[in-house]
Amino acid sequence: MTTLETRKLCKSFGSLAVTQDVTLTFASGKRYAIIGPNGAGKTTFFNLLAGNLRADSGHILLDGRDISSLDVTSRAHIGIARSFQRNNLFPELSVLDNIAMACALQQGIAPSFWKPMKSYTGLRNDALAVARQVGLEDDAQIAVRQLSYGSQRQLEVALALACKPKVLLLDEPTSGMSPQETARMDHLIKNLPRDITTIVIEHDMDIVLEFADEIVVLDYGRVLEQGTPAQIKASSIVRQRYLGEEGQAVGSRAP
Amino acid sequence: MSLTRNQIRLLIGAVIAVLSLVVQPRMSAFAQELFAEAAILAIFALSLDILARSGLVSFGHAGFLGLGAYAFGGLTVLQNWPAGAAVFVAIAIGIVVGLIVGIFAVRTSGAFFIMVTLAMAEMFYSWVFRSPIFNGADGMGGVPRLDIKSLTGLDLNNPVSFATFCIVMCILAWIVVEFIAITPFGRTLDAIRQNPNRISALGGRVFSYRLAAFALSGAIGAFAGVMKVQHTNFLSPDLASWIISGDVLIIAVIGGMGTFVGGIIGAGLLVYLKEILSSNFGHWYLFLGGIFIFVALVLPRGIVGTFLDWTDGRRASKSAPAATESET
Ligand SMILES: Nc1ncnc2c1ncn2[C@@H]1O[C@H](COP(=O)(O)OP(=O)(O)OP(=O)(O)O)[C@@H](O)[C@H]1O
Ligand SMILES: [Mg+2]
Repeated sequence: MTTLETRKLCKSFGSLAVTQDVTLTFASGKRYAIIGPNGAGKTTFFNLLAGNLRADSGHILLDGRDISSLDVTSRAHIGIARSFQRNNLFPELSVLDNIAMACALQQGIAPSFWKPMKSYTGLRNDALAVARQVGLEDDAQIAVRQLSYGSQRQLEVALALACKPKVLLLDEPTSGMSPQETARMDHLIKNLPRDITTIVIEHDMDIVLEFADEIVVLDYGRVLEQGTPAQIKASSIVRQRYLGEEGQAVGSRAP
Repeated sequence: MSLTRNQIRLLIGAVIAVLSLVVQPRMSAFAQELFAEAAILAIFALSLDILARSGLVSFGHAGFLGLGAYAFGGLTVLQNWPAGAAVFVAIAIGIVVGLIVGIFAVRTSGAFFIMVTLAMAEMFYSWVFRSPIFNGADGMGGVPRLDIKSLTGLDLNNPVSFATFCIVMCILAWIVVEFIAITPFGRTLDAIRQNPNRISALGGRVFSYRLAAFALSGAIGAFAGVMKVQHTNFLSPDLASWIISGDVLIIAVIGGMGTFVGGIIGAGLLVYLKEILSSNFGHWYLFLGGIFIFVALVLPRGIVGTFLDWTDGRRASKSAPAATESET
C-alpha cells in the first residue's frame, strides 16, 4: 500500500531546477534510500516532502490525501518527521530535554501551563526510551553544546523518532561520524520499527545497499534510476554516472 | 557549588524578596516611594522578559503599561468604577489588545518585531495624547488606589503600606512567570527562542505560542500600568512613551535577559541611580546611559546572566568529565 506519493514535483531556485518532475511512490513500511551526487537535490526533495519548502508545481500525497498545501507544522502533525543534514537542535537544552520537547509536542502536552513539565513522568520515560534507542542514555544530562558532533547527529535522529512518525526522513544520518559512530547509526537505522516508512539520504553505499528495500538515484533534480539494491548495482547508467568500479559512491564527502 | 542555574536564580529572587519586605518598612517615606517605583518597574520588566523567553524583544512595551494605566484610570475616574473591578478589566484589556496586536506583530521577529511593536505603542501614545476623553497631553489626576483595608488592614494611601503592596505584587508576578517558565508551555517558549524552525518541524505552531506569550506579556504589562497609575495617581501620555519602552528594555538587558530576577535587579538599579544622579547632576540621563553602556560591555549577558554563566563555569571545572565530552 502506498503511504507517500509525489506527482511531477518541481522546484527551482531562480534558474536552477533542483527538483524536476519527480514522481515517486513510497510503500508503507518499506525502506528507501536516496542517493546522488552533491547538489543533486536530495535535501531539497526532503524539504518539499516535509513542507520546509513549497513546490513550484506537482503534488504530494500522504495516504491518498493531497498534502501539498500543508505547512511544515501540519505535516509533522500528520506523521511526517525528518532529521536534518546540518544539526538543528536546541543548543542550551540537555539531550533528554531536547527529546522531551519533541515528545511533549507530539503528545500535545506542550501547550499546558498549569503543571511543571517535571510532573509529566510519562514524558520523561518516553524521552529516556528514545535516548536509549539511539544510544544516548549515558549522555542524557549533557547540554547539546557540550556534546560531540557524532552524538549530536544521533540526537538529530532521536528528535525525529520522538515524533512517532508514519514517514521518517533521515538526511545523511552518518555524515561526519567516526567509523564507530557510523556503525552504531547503521545498527540503529536497521533496527527501526518496520511499520515506519523510512527514507534515508545516505552517501555510504555499504549502509544503503544493506538497508534499503529500494533505492532512488537523483541526478540534477531528476530520478535517474530506481530499483532494488541489486538492480541499482546492475544498472549501467548508474554505474556510468554515479558508482565507481567498487560500488563506492563518487563524490561522497564529509559535510 | 552544587546548586543548579535555576536554583541560584530562584535563591537570588527569594533573598531580594525577603530583604525588600524586611528593609522597606524601616526606611524613610521617601525611600518607600522609591521601593514602590522599583517594584512596579520590576513587574513591567517581568512582562517584557516572559515575552523574551520566546525570542521576541519588544520595543513598544510602554504601550501595554499605558494601556493598563488608562484603562484603570479611565474606568475609576471617568466611569466611577470600583478600583478592584477596574484592575481585572484593565488586565483583560491587556490580554485582548495583546492578542489583536500580536496577530500582526508575532508573525515577524528581530528588527521587524521591534518596529511593529514600537509603531503600535506610538499609535496608542498619539491617540491618548490627543484624546479629549483623557484630557490629552495634560493628563488627568485623581486616580484612586485600591481599597484593601477591610481585607488586609493595609491602607494603601500610606507610603509604607503601598510600598509593601507593590513588593508583594511584584513577588506574585515573579512567581507567576517563574512557574509558567517551568511548565511545558514555558519550556516550549524557551525552545522556540533557541530554534523556532525545529519547533515547527516537530509540530509546534510557533505563531500560537508566541501569540500566547504576547498576550500574557500584555496582561502583566497592563497590570504594571495599573500599579504605576495608582502610585502616581496621575494619567499621562508619557506612560506610553517610547522612552519608557527603552527604559524597560535597558533594565532587562542590564539585569540579564530571560533571567527574570535580572529585570528586578535592573529595575531597582535604574530607580536608585536615577535618584542619586538626578539630584547631583543636571545631565543625569547622560551619566545613566554611560553607566549602562559600561555594564553592557563588561557584563555582556547582564548582571544575573553573567553571574550564572560564571557559576556554570565553576561547576564545569569541578566536574571535568562532563565538560571534556565536547572536544571532537
Ligand atoms: N534555499 C536555496 N536557495 C538557493 N539554492 C539552493 C537552496 N537550497 C539548495 N539550493 C541549491 O540547490 C541544489 C541542490 O541542493 P540540495 O541541498 O538539495 O542538494 P543535495 O543533493 O542534498 O546535496 P548534498 O549531497 O551536498 O547534501 C544545490 O545546487 C544548492 O546549492
Ligand atoms: Mg543534502
